[in-house]
Amino acid sequence: MFYQSPLRTITLIAALCFLAIYASFGSYFAREIVIEIIILAILAISLDFCAGFGGMVSLCHGAMMGIAAYFYGMMSVKLGWGLTASAGIGLAAAVIFAGCVGWVTARISGIFFIMATLAFGQMAYTIFFRWRWLGGDDGMGGMRRFDLSAWGVNLNDGLIFTFWALGILLLVYILSALLLRSGFGRSLSGIHANEGRMQALGINTATIRTQAMAFSGLMAGLAGILAAQHTFYISPELLVWTLSGEVLLVVILGGIGTLVGPIIGAILLVLMKHSISAYTDYWHIFVGLVLIFAVLSGGRGIFGQGEYWWQKYMRGQHA
Amino acid sequence: MQNVAMDVSFWILQCLNALQYAMLLFLLSVGLTVIFGLLNFVNLAHASLYMLGAYLGISLAALTGSFWWALLIAPLLVMGIGAGLYFTLIARLRTAGPMNQVLVTFGLIFVFLDLVRIGWGDIALGLAAPPALSGTLHFLGINYPSYRLFIIGLGGTVMAGMWFILARTQIGAMIRASVENTDMAAALGIDVSRLFFLVFCCGCALAGLAGVAAAPILSATTTMGITILIPTMIVVVIGGLGSLEGAILGSLIIGFIDVFGAVLMPSFSALLTYALLAAVLVWRPHGLIAARG
Repeated sequence: MFYQSPLRTITLIAALCFLAIYASFGSYFAREIVIEIIILAILAISLDFCAGFGGMVSLCHGAMMGIAAYFYGMMSVKLGWGLTASAGIGLAAAVIFAGCVGWVTARISGIFFIMATLAFGQMAYTIFFRWRWLGGDDGMGGMRRFDLSAWGVNLNDGLIFTFWALGILLLVYILSALLLRSGFGRSLSGIHANEGRMQALGINTATIRTQAMAFSGLMAGLAGILAAQHTFYISPELLVWTLSGEVLLVVILGGIGTLVGPIIGAILLVLMKHSISAYTDYWHIFVGLVLIFAVLSGGRGIFGQGEYWWQKYMRGQHA
Repeated sequence: MQNVAMDVSFWILQCLNALQYAMLLFLLSVGLTVIFGLLNFVNLAHASLYMLGAYLGISLAALTGSFWWALLIAPLLVMGIGAGLYFTLIARLRTAGPMNQVLVTFGLIFVFLDLVRIGWGDIALGLAAPPALSGTLHFLGINYPSYRLFIIGLGGTVMAGMWFILARTQIGAMIRASVENTDMAAALGIDVSRLFFLVFCCGCALAGLAGVAAAPILSATTTMGITILIPTMIVVVIGGLGSLEGAILGSLIIGFIDVFGAVLMPSFSALLTYALLAAVLVWRPHGLIAARG
């Protein structure tokens, strides 16, 4: 069950403020890092939505993101559609893909669910890797950012684009929080806790799971379009399964099932990666060790552990 | 007539290629599947052990001057690494649920990847096939590298040996009983945790063996583990987690689909295996030959 506790609100505001200040007063490189964090955070919230609250540990979230990015690129660059319409098609493609995966895997759980999502994600990866028309393994360039000059906003300015991305991150968080607090979110948490009992209550769990995956796909799609507009370039590397694994790492590192934890996890992972790669080329080993440590130390993640201690402290105060 | 003969030899060649790839997949997947069936443990780092086997094999071959010593010692070293992993991580993660197992072993992939890069560098390393097997054999109207035939033979030998151990010996009966129902096997006096450890070590050694055996064909690279992991997992899931027959069937299916797909419809070959996996997961979620009734 999801609660937007005061601690979560404070953490969310603090994290967003940190990103805003870091981007505003930092160099060009700092803004690049902040956008990288935001894209990863959106993707991680999207994964936390279905893994942390619905128990669906997916390894195809990179593919959802990549599909949206590729359809956005295909419509706008190859077919010359308008940017808004292309973005709509991109999001729709991600939603349809995620919904199909959710529908097909609705009766599978545990390791078989993980393997099935891995397979579907790699299937999408292979398609774009081979599709010469869309650049194949070379990727594709030429994407453009939305033209908001009618509102006096120039997204081609690095700082403004960063704030635009920050706004989307906040929107994604609010949407997820609202949905998790609705009846739908409660049913989803119920399925996570005890699927058999939810079925006995007359709830069509397959439908709920499919819808949760589809909504997760929508959020991952937003991250994909943001990624395509950020670097003006997309490649099949967006869809590869190890990226989905990294997103799962972010969720675990920050705190699974907390919704704000993934933002903390994304900040930490990206900052850690950049600070370590300044010294050594071997940053994978640190990421791997952090992941192993995060799981072995209880799996609550950084925000989750902090929240756990805070709640314990508060209970001590009231007792 | 000439044309037909060429056609036939072409298909024989492809069949042998498929069989050779299938045997490599079998060596990897059989360890993975038995470990899963017995320990309920998903070891994504299994493919990293394969990579370590290849690199250790190359170093050992350089050190001893003989491929055969490498083929013998490298799997034992990999087994030692596997034993170390078992005591530090695997044993305490056995009851932790699939997500934690996937995460920790995913972390191990990263760790091993960089350890290999630190130890051996980023350049692809080759290993020469032993002199006795460096030529080609002429039979059925084709020329085929004898080293590839050796891999087919090696896989076949391991397959037969595994079948014999599992089906005809007491320890095999104990393993089968523990896969079927761990608690019941423990209640009957089988030392399940020792059996787990033994099977885990053997699985790791087979992964190392596959690594050394593969090195002369596909030179050792830092990405070789991640590249082979996905087909291996597909073999295990299609065949049925925990089942030896499943690993055999799955390796043959994936080996033949991959090789013949690449010949007959190059642009769809990779897609075919994924589509097959998706189909199996939807219609028979526990694999073609499920280990547990």
